[in-house]
Amino acid sequence: MTKKLLPTTIVGSYPKPKWLNKMIKDHKYGGVSDKVLEQSYTDSIKTVVKEQELAGIDILWDGEMRRDEMTSYFADHIDGFKIYGDVRVWGNNYYRKPAIVDKLKYRDELTIPEYKYLKTITSKGIKVPITGPYTIVDWSFNEFYSKKDEAIYELAEVINKELKALVRAGADYIQIDDPAIPTHPEELEIAKNSIEIATRGIKAYTGIHICYGDYSKIYPDILEFNTDQFDFEFANKNFCDVEVFKKYDYTKDIGFGCLDVHTRRVENVEEIKKNIRRAFEIVEPKKVYVDPDCGVKLLPSDIAFAKLKNMCLAADEVRDEIR
Amino acid sequence: MPHKYREKTIIPTIMGGYPRPPWFAEYLKKLEGSQKENLKEISEEIEQRAINDILDEQKKAGIELFADGQLTWQDFLCHLCTKIEGFKMTGLTRYFDNNAYYRVPVVASKLELKDNMISDEFELAYKTQPQTKAVLSCYSIAELSKNEFYNNKEEVVMDIASIINGEAKSLVKKGAKYIQLDEPSLLQADKNDLEIAKEAIKKIVRGVDAKFFLATYYGDASNIFPEILDFNVDVIGLDFVEGYEKNLELLKEYKTKKEIQAGIVDGRTTKMEKREDVKNKINNILDCCDADTFFLSPNTGLELLPYVKASEKLMNMCDCFRGEKYD
Ligand SMILES: [Zn+2]
Repeated sequence: MTKKLLPTTIVGSYPKPKWLNKMIKDHKYGGVSDKVLEQSYTDSIKTVVKEQELAGIDILWDGEMRRDEMTSYFADHIDGFKIYGDVRVWGNNYYRKPAIVDKLKYRDELTIPEYKYLKTITSKGIKVPITGPYTIVDWSFNEFYSKKDEAIYELAEVINKELKALVRAGADYIQIDDPAIPTHPEELEIAKNSIEIATRGIKAYTGIHICYGDYSKIYPDILEFNTDQFDFEFANKNFCDVEVFKKYDYTKDIGFGCLDVHTRRVENVEEIKKNIRRAFEIVEPKKVYVDPDCGVKLLPSDIAFAKLKNMCLAADEVRDEIR
Repeated sequence: MPHKYREKTIIPTIMGGYPRPPWFAEYLKKLEGSQKENLKEISEEIEQRAINDILDEQKKAGIELFADGQLTWQDFLCHLCTKIEGFKMTGLTRYFDNNAYYRVPVVASKLELKDNMISDEFELAYKTQPQTKAVLSCYSIAELSKNEFYNNKEEVVMDIASIINGEAKSLVKKGAKYIQLDEPSLLQADKNDLEIAKEAIKKIVRGVDAKFFLATYYGDASNIFPEILDFNVDVIGLDFVEGYEKNLELLKEYKTKKEIQAGIVDGRTTKMEKREDVKNKINNILDCCDADTFFLSPNTGLELLPYVKASEKLMNMCDCFRGEKYD
């Protein structure tokens, strides 16, 4: 892993090339073979990895080209889940909401093939994002377990198995995506236990990504979680959460979301520099990772690129200035 | 033939929301895209087909009091705000504790009825199925939105109430006999809020010749008892999934002559309830009900279930009464 000050990274997702979406669709309706689709995946991964490198990202990921969504992708590969159909999130947006219908058991490798392939095409640092057991269960129907926490802990064991194998394959930076955590502050203990189980015996740097929540309801309690870093969104809420984290002694590293992924406006370098410096109100610079608020997949790819590029330029300048 | 059970007429119904038929979801996606703006005119013929599909699903399941399913609504109850002049729809936020979002309506100027709210879609459903319940809301949509214009909550609620009153009148003109007011936010109301809601309902029902339901869900009703029993409505809807024990106690403690609409199966999970459990629940609730008519429904709308599971849920609920039509 990079020892650089203020390393830049992405949360995980990157816009899929339009042609990849077309290939996925054509494949679904039988017009494209498995082999051609597979080639399309690797081609698009090369494309988005190159884009991240050109933007100047230090620690990157494959942009989640192979994942349709952050819950169902994993549910599709774990025994015990079944997907009955789409469920609405808002407006005309849906997700394939999984249902737990049987005991949850490890079946397929979840992130390892993605990681192994990525390692062959880049010499940059790699961060492997995986959705946390708490969030997957919270975003699924539960028909099997009598209590929610039983399902969460069982799934945490599945994730733990995956992470162990992932570290054996060489991964040194793992990010657990757990945006559901702040939606039920009353279940924070369960979430904490789930992380404990998922990361048990894992010798790698770990972070937990939490976006879209009321952080004041879970902070400072989350400092008890077994993780090296938390990755939060700040730009979307105009950095007002900085005050939340300043209130108590923040003891972890921080992934500092300094780009708003919900607007197509490209923040300029000066503005992002100012944003990055807000992180120093919480922790010293050596504990800061610079990244966007969340995955950038919903942005047009040229805008995603322009934003990330400015973010990296801003990080370069701040790095020089504080040295 | 209405079901008689323990000398009461039992009417299975739904709360209102129903998942879109998959083909209709695809149609809307293509028509409107996935952005927050540019809602387009939906073809009436296609909307009619979609509504007929879900009325048919309800009928097959055994439902006797139907709903149009709110198939074109994008913002849950706050859909109604898009039909009111003076509201501006803004950023997305979580809808109660669902993993689902709505655009927060902001009151930017005086509230006035823009066009018909739901009477067009009601009419489509009514043509096919005259036993259709129309669903509106007042207090909750005020609570779910942000007020940047009026001096206080009361003014917002009362102005929405007059608009809802107007809409209720047009619904009756189109044939509506049953109107439900969905008020999940009422469960968090304090005594002062309850007073406001009570006045608002008075205003809503004034001059409207229909049977009014007041539906609460996402929890128990301990905050609003016994005041709610004096509200000017005919039927009170209670959530007997998330608030079963508490609501049962409340009914025992405060006897009421009002009819009850009991939400007895969980509208938010694909897990199917055991019939024995549901039956026991119903018997316990009936022990505390005086009125001759009793409505059964899922505790919430079904809009957050996969399409195939919504009808299964309803069928499972109605099956509890198959073969038990008589005492
Ligand atoms: Zn995120």
